[in-house]
Amino acid sequence: MKLLSNKILVLVLILFSTFGYIVSCTHEDVVPPAPASTTPVVTHGTNVHLAGIPGDKDSTTWKLDKVHSSTLWSTAYVGAAGLLTGRFNQFGMHDVTNAKMLKYVTTGQPLADTSWAFYENDPTKTYFNGYVQINTSNTGEPGRDAGCNIPGMNTVPIISGTQNLEIINLAKIKTKKVEFDKTSNDYIVTFDLTWHKWDTTAAGMANPAPITQELVGRLKYITKAQPTGQYYYVFGLQLLFQFNCRDFGIPSTSIGDKIDIECNMNFNNKWK
Amino acid sequence: MDNSIFSYMEFIELIAFFSGYPLIYAVTILISDSFSKNRYIGKAGSLLPNAYALVGTLYLGLQLKKFYPNYSFSNFKQSVFHPWAMAWALVSLLFWIPALARKKTLSLIHSLFFLYLLIHDLYIQFTQLEIDKHMVKNDMNVYTASLVLNFCALLVVVFMSSLLTRLRQKNAG
Repeated sequence: MKLLSNKILVLVLILFSTFGYIVSCTHEDVVPPAPASTTPVVTHGTNVHLAGIPGDKDSTTWKLDKVHSSTLWSTAYVGAAGLLTGRFNQFGMHDVTNAKMLKYVTTGQPLADTSWAFYENDPTKTYFNGYVQINTSNTGEPGRDAGCNIPGMNTVPIISGTQNLEIINLAKIKTKKVEFDKTSNDYIVTFDLTWHKWDTTAAGMANPAPITQELVGRLKYITKAQPTGQYYYVFGLQLLFQFNCRDFGIPSTSIGDKIDIECNMNFNNKWK
Repeated sequence: MDNSIFSYMEFIELIAFFSGYPLIYAVTILISDSFSKNRYIGKAGSLLPNAYALVGTLYLGLQLKKFYPNYSFSNFKQSVFHPWAMAWALVSLLFWIPALARKKTLSLIHSLFFLYLLIHDLYIQFTQLEIDKHMVKNDMNVYTASLVLNFCALLVVVFMSSLLTRLRQKNAG
């Protein structure tokens, strides 16, 4: 070989090939690291919250902070893209038995908000009851709330200074079972919703027929925390569920069948 | 190279067939010089141009298959973007001629053009602002295929040559 030294040629070609292979390495054949686990990390603390009444001067019990709580509803406004929304001004957390379905002359809570208990790590012990006064639905339009809303929801007008927990004006829930949600930190709640059947006849108004329906909702626990600059602690429970208003005979064609309910209950352990 | 995908494919074919020859050539010469006493290895060095001609024959077969059944000049003119490169590749068939096959260095010089095509393609990638690693990887894959093809061609030629030699010896004996 006169033109080229063969050894140099081999060296150059091998160097060129090696360089080409190294630069062309895209690492696409490298086995990627195992993907992060898709199993949700579910952690439940050990907080236990038991009910108390305001003014009990007991830091171990938790009182419903109604001023900072709410019971909201929303439904499709048929024929339009937006939602029709509102809230109930009067609500509570008491097991309103038939004997307690009365008119209470008071501007405060008619019954103590003590029918509940929450065990963060043992949902079998968790339970709660709740109610709303139907005629206190507030959509921000007084003409509607005190007007067509009354026959629309088959209830009676508000009497000033009176809390009306009679069956004609009451919708209530009572838990039957609370379980862990396997995919989140939430809880799955099975409960009964009781409301009366829509009947605006004189007979229907005089003797409303209650309907009880079993529903399933999602309960979120907002863990215990101390508000900045305060001596006490707070925690929250949020219940989300949906029901079909046609099951209770609501005939209005202006609203959708399904009503979404969001109960935001805040509690504190004020003892002073 | 222009931007036509068909034009690029033509160059890729040339690289795939011939660009691996220089390295196979250099390594074979080096080994055959070191192991000249070994009958097969010593023979491989002298058979390199025949192996190169075999690769050229395979390339010709591919082109004939591509043009089948229309071998008209107009079809050729329309389908071939780099006729001079193709003609240069087909010149490799001349190494079947024993007189030319004895000049091994010519086959190396002939094949350097195809190695240049590969180096030119890589050079374009490296001088861009961002190296397209997939293009480089593709080029190197084609180069690898060419190395394998040329090595296999050499093995086939050595095997056939040994077989013919044995047959001749048998007939003579």
